[in-house]
Amino acid sequence: MTMKTKIANDSHVLKEVSKVLIDDLKAMEVEEDIIFDVYVGFEEALRNAMVHGNKSDPDKEVTVETAIEGNKVTIIVEDEGEGFDPESLPDPTLEENLLKESGRGVYLIKHLMDEVSYQNGGRRVVMVKYLDRKHL
Amino acid sequence: MQINCEETGGVSIFRMEGDIDINTSPDIKKSFDKIVNDKKDKIVINLKGVNYVDSSGLATLVEILKNLRAYGGKLKLSNLSSKVRGLFEITKLDKLFDIVDEEADAVSSF
Repeated sequence: MTMKTKIANDSHVLKEVSKVLIDDLKAMEVEEDIIFDVYVGFEEALRNAMVHGNKSDPDKEVTVETAIEGNKVTIIVEDEGEGFDPESLPDPTLEENLLKESGRGVYLIKHLMDEVSYQNGGRRVVMVKYLDRKHL
Repeated sequence: MQINCEETGGVSIFRMEGDIDINTSPDIKKSFDKIVNDKKDKIVINLKGVNYVDSSGLATLVEILKNLRAYGGKLKLSNLSSKVRGLFEITKLDKLFDIVDEEADAVSSF
């Protein structure tokens, strides 16, 4: 099952897009905890693209690709912003950063998805989640 | 998102239902404006009806905590689902927030 689409830079569209993939995973009877990780990772990537990448600009779009192949789901989210260096972000779990109100989205993606890479200057994130426990 | 607020024995209890995310965070912040303006100092947020908190939602809860702490207010979170608690643990926010299993225990622990 694959999907490629461009969506409006509107956070209210976010749930509609993630629901399509999550419904497919539910239909495949993937374990609930794995679906939750995919849900969080996908929505965080979409939110980052819309808010931080595209700076909430309604004239910009986000490109989304998802593919369920074999025992894994691959999600690609790309914005039209200026890009960023994910390595430059402070660790939000350090004590001095706990009270900061930003920086947790990229961290959650890194910890909930099995493989994460940033391409095209940080505008494009490629995430993989394995759908069975054997790969954890 | 539905927020039910009740005050009992000097403790303000907020029971939330729905997702705490980028779309609901602005309304949640507004709900706490009056609490902060009135300098209420004992707050419980019951998250029993919350299945999902995204990073915007976590940031909103951090902001509420900071606003309360500014005048000595105390905040306790109760009734977190295992998934939501997991998000607090991954982000180490379980070290920042006072998380209690049950609402009644949170209320009596002030």
